[in-house]
Amino acid sequence: MGIVTGPMTLARFRVVGDRPQGWREVFRDRLNDHAFKEPPQGQGKEEVEGWVQVHNLLDAEFDDFNRWLYNDTVVLALRVDKKRLPAKLLRATLDKRAEAWCAERDVARCPNAVKAELKEELEHEWLARTLPSVSVTDAAWNIEGGWAVLHSLSEGVADRFRKRFYRTFGLKLVPWSPLDWLADAPAVEALMSRAPMPAQLGGPEVHLAGRSE
Amino acid sequence: MTDQADGLPIIPHLAGEFYTWLWWSSEQAGAVFELPQPVGTVDLWVDERLAFRYPDDLRVAAVMTGDNPAASLEARAALAGGKVLQEIRVGIRRDDREFIVTLKGPAAHVSALKLPQVVTDGDEEVLFERMHLYEEVSFVVQGLFRQFAALRMGEAWQTDVQPALHDWILGRG
Repeated sequence: MGIVTGPMTLARFRVVGDRPQGWREVFRDRLNDHAFKEPPQGQGKEEVEGWVQVHNLLDAEFDDFNRWLYNDTVVLALRVDKKRLPAKLLRATLDKRAEAWCAERDVARCPNAVKAELKEELEHEWLARTLPSVSVTDAAWNIEGGWAVLHSLSEGVADRFRKRFYRTFGLKLVPWSPLDWLADAPAVEALMSRAPMPAQLGGPEVHLAGRSE
Repeated sequence: MTDQADGLPIIPHLAGEFYTWLWWSSEQAGAVFELPQPVGTVDLWVDERLAFRYPDDLRVAAVMTGDNPAASLEARAALAGGKVLQEIRVGIRRDDREFIVTLKGPAAHVSALKLPQVVTDGDEEVLFERMHLYEEVSFVVQGLFRQFAALRMGEAWQTDVQPALHDWILGRG
């Protein structure tokens, strides 16, 4: 479900800043620079994020404009991967390995430095065979219109998207306000000055007259 | 639109009033909204969801779903009791295209938007179509909000609209 299929749930932003000269090529290169890149084998404990094509999360190249630029609308997705190791099983396995290390050397206690090394080895070994949890959030950016939409209403996802967008394109995203729908600044000021407080439509003093439905 | 780099403020009570006005107007006008061109005439009706909050809290406090929640006594009673609308699911028809969308929260986010899928073949064509239809919905909602804003800013809000809304909430409308 996202921009390509299914019902749409979209947070909207206004894009602030100027496009560079030759923006198509510039944006293509920046997207390639900030595209999703698989972490080396045995890593991935930290989150890894980057842009992918909206059609398939394994497509992370933006050389072909036809896959991400539709007239003046950029359509892409932000992929975030994270591998999670089972903490209790990891701790138990580490204890067993520390015990084995002690038994081999006929010592009573495994030094902390050795334990840290054993933990690192174990994590590396397990990360290499663990699949990540993958989240993909679609987005679209209407360049002429100066707005972008993100297929999520989560604040956390929006923050990540805004930061990545800024790092990639050097343009700021500000949350859309219904006031952005007004024609101009005087209309915004007029509405804000005429409606600074909520209108009293209901309230404790109101008693509802009968309505049968 | 303005060029404010930090963005325009998102004012919670305006969205709540806008949603209430949509609901009320749809009942007054037989679901027909005559908006200035280029939007033109649209039909709008309250669909299967209304969510309310307390005025000083942005969390949803009551939700009404199912067939025609707008006709329920509970929905009107929520307004009468001082709650304000936080979400409204509406159907919109423009020409022969029908959309169902929830307008959500102070920023009027578009949620669970169902589009009339006209094109079904080809990745690219479908994407073009969906983006175009999303823009159409935004365009209509913008037209509706502008109409609401014009009323809210005018003298008629105090003299006509607000008393009529009040009566409607009381079941006198």
